[in-house]
Amino acid sequence: MLDRPDAATLLKAMAATLSDEVLPETSGGTRHAVRVIANLCRILEREFEAGPAGPERTRQALAELLGQDGTLPELISELDRSLCEREIRDDTGFDSKVRKLILADVERRLAIDRPGYSS
Amino acid sequence: MKDHTDAADETDTSALSARLAALLPGNAEIRITGVASLGAQRRTLFLDILRDGATTQAVAQIASQVLDPADIEKEARLLRAAAKAGVAVPHLLAVHAKAGTIISEHIAGESIPRRILRLVDAQADLGSKLTSDCGRLLAMIHQIPTEEFHDLENLGNAKRYAEEMEELLESLTAPHPTFRLGVRWLRRHELDAPAASVVVHGDFRIGNFLASDEGIRAVLDWELVHLGDPMEDLAWLCLRTWRFGADDLVVGGFGQLEALRTAYEKAGGTWRAKAFDWWTVARTLWWGLGLARQAQAHMQGEVNSIVLAASGRRVVELEYDLLRLMQD
Repeated sequence: MLDRPDAATLLKAMAATLSDEVLPETSGGTRHAVRVIANLCRILEREFEAGPAGPERTRQALAELLGQDGTLPELISELDRSLCEREIRDDTGFDSKVRKLILADVERRLAIDRPGYSS
Repeated sequence: MKDHTDAADETDTSALSARLAALLPGNAEIRITGVASLGAQRRTLFLDILRDGATTQAVAQIASQVLDPADIEKEARLLRAAAKAGVAVPHLLAVHAKAGTIISEHIAGESIPRRILRLVDAQADLGSKLTSDCGRLLAMIHQIPTEEFHDLENLGNAKRYAEEMEELLESLTAPHPTFRLGVRWLRRHELDAPAASVVVHGDFRIGNFLASDEGIRAVLDWELVHLGDPMEDLAWLCLRTWRFGADDLVVGGFGQLEALRTAYEKAGGTWRAKAFDWWTVARTLWWGLGLARQAQAHMQGEVNSIVLAASGRRVVELEYDLLRLMQD
């Protein structure tokens, strides 16, 4: 029992309609808004296609780094807290480990939000 | 709640025209001829001013009351001082701080980044011309006498700037570990102080100057002007975010860093390479925080704007740039 079309198909069609049919009919601030919304549809389409595996990988990496389990938002808050508690010139290499972990997550998000940016 | 998307509709009404006409001396009538941009902070309209049978083309900049409590008087004062120092700026026709409005003469030229970059593609020497204009104009801005601007905020102290970034970070409702790393990096790396605090434009980049096939015609958007480190302006101009895809041309997507440095030094500026790197990290962090703040304004219902909401999905670009800059 699945609704069809699925979200990705609809978002793709929405983006195409906005860009090809609505955009040429608009001007000024409305034109800018239509362009922005069409782009957001494409972002959401890619997000839907990518599925939940990416965020889950980040969650697992964070849980391992911090030595505790939790949801992704909980672990992000914990990471932030943990950074705040450390000396600015922390010599355990923690900042560099965090940087590496976040960079992997950022590359995953860029593939959704802005393909090609990290190449 | 203020709905940004209604700004374009308002241009159709005569109410706005009458409101703008009231700011001008004499018996002027105003016809709004177009919308130049609807930024998050302010919108820019093209006008015809009809007075005594003559028509003058002008530009009105109207601040958004929600996000921009900009000090309009300060901006006007700076525009006058910049003109006196020989910096190309639009001539002011009316300044109304309470209405958040500046009306200035219209100068022909292109301000939209992608269109400027298309001009650069079409004309072989324009990129280097724009680059040397940037260096020269920034050196001139940085030599504006500071005596009458002691009331401007001074952002030149590295320790205090890092603290301000931390305050901005704390003002966000969601945690941003990337930006936390950024604040820590700024604290860990020392910035050699400039010889003196100077007038810093604060938003000198592609999009905020008018260009023609002859180079830069006028420097616009002075609302973020402050005192501080001259290298802040140079770093901001070269941020990846302002290259609009032409990433190998560090200066605004149209020029090389070495050419900018040469022009800046030739016009009397002192280039400090380490400070340039520090400010590149600092300004990337600032803009990342700014985009996150724009999205938060939408999410918390301060404004209802799809454009501001979409800024939230650009934060990751600044995170990437920041992480790449902080290699040590």
